[in-house]
Amino acid sequence: MKFTLVSMTSITYAMKAKKLLNARGIYCEIEKTDKNSGSGCGYSIRAKEPPQRLTALLDELSIPYKSVSQVQREKRL
Amino acid sequence: MINFDNSATSFPKPPGVAKAVSAAVTRFGGNPGRSGHRLSREAAAKVFDVRQLAADFFHAQVENVAFTPNCTYALNMAIKGVAQFGGHVIISDYEHNAAARPVYALWKMRGVDFSVAKSGNDPEATVAGFESLIRKDTRAVVCTAASNVTGRIMPYRELAQMCKKHGICFIVDAAQAAGLVDITLDDGMDFICAAGHKSLYGPTGTGLLVSSGRYALSTIIEGGTGATSNELEQTGFLPERLESGTLNTVGIIGLGEGLRFVKKTSPERILRHEKRLCAQFEQALSQMKNVVIYEQGVQRVPLTAFNVGELHSEEAAQRLSQMGFALRGGLQCAALAHRTLGTTDRGVVRFSPSAFNTPQQVQALTNAIREL
Repeated sequence: MKFTLVSMTSITYAMKAKKLLNARGIYCEIEKTDKNSGSGCGYSIRAKEPPQRLTALLDELSIPYKSVSQVQREKRL
Repeated sequence: MINFDNSATSFPKPPGVAKAVSAAVTRFGGNPGRSGHRLSREAAAKVFDVRQLAADFFHAQVENVAFTPNCTYALNMAIKGVAQFGGHVIISDYEHNAAARPVYALWKMRGVDFSVAKSGNDPEATVAGFESLIRKDTRAVVCTAASNVTGRIMPYRELAQMCKKHGICFIVDAAQAAGLVDITLDDGMDFICAAGHKSLYGPTGTGLLVSSGRYALSTIIEGGTGATSNELEQTGFLPERLESGTLNTVGIIGLGEGLRFVKKTSPERILRHEKRLCAQFEQALSQMKNVVIYEQGVQRVPLTAFNVGELHSEEAAQRLSQMGFALRGGLQCAALAHRTLGTTDRGVVRFSPSAFNTPQQVQALTNAIREL
């Protein structure tokens, strides 16, 4: 299954993003960013939404983020 | 002992605060925003919940609420964050040392000039007094929302509008006002500095710096924030920019229960209750010929500043303490306010009730004052 991972700038923004996206019916979770380089807060939000839709929503909500990627995961997390 | 010194810190706290503090110690022991393991994330989620509660309370964006150790830290961070590199600051003649001393220190060490605005008999006169002191290099106006000595409510909404008109940052000290009177960013303030442990009923060691987001603060404390860790430059975004070092998770979680208590009871109801107690107290004092009450005619938050006969206020407070009543004598850390009142030599005794005091307790206190 494909997931979008958005690397966040801070834990506060990660939690704000989760709260506001969940309120819009977009299920997402916070997880530790893999192999964090130390440049961010080390947290990402994970959702099934396509990257463009997720980042458009974050932009609309004025929530900053660092980067976006898609990952394939075998097991449902 | 019956506590009538709630302006210093409220006590007792709502029962939920103690439970939350206990849970924080026993269950939420991770370091929020660090590490990323479950313990850390659970603690971070609790801290975020309280941040959101505070944001809703002051009508702020959640990321614009920074936790501080107390209101003094919040004021230092706001005042120095705006004005530490020069210019001019205006403060009122009722400021607590928490606002006056940082401004004085900036003058002494950095050459930042400051003026003290005289309070008038009405809001218009007070605002005009501030406005007359504005200069081209005025960076900020700092004013208490309510005096910690007499309870006098300053025209903070009008001052906010005046500052907005002149493009000057307005910092309000809401230590005595938050939780009692309606004070939010909607009033036009740029920064609200509040104590978590007074009328917001949180534990000591908690404060809030609430920002409108219109002014970026330079920092006075830098360090680990859990973000931008590979850079030597301090984190640039809120709230982490203002929250270096490990947060007081235990206090913050306790503050959350204090905020819930205030919200559930409603500030208006608490204010009504405390006003009734003050009215009862002042009515009883007015029957005593040797008692003077200060600033009775002005709009105040519910606290009463008084003196008894020729007794020094510290002596009166000491005797009341021996009789089982906690009140504060002396200068209440507010040199300017006492200069304004002309009470620097003897100070005042301050009676400040909370949501948990009763008319019976006030009656017992007035009986004790008669015996002084």
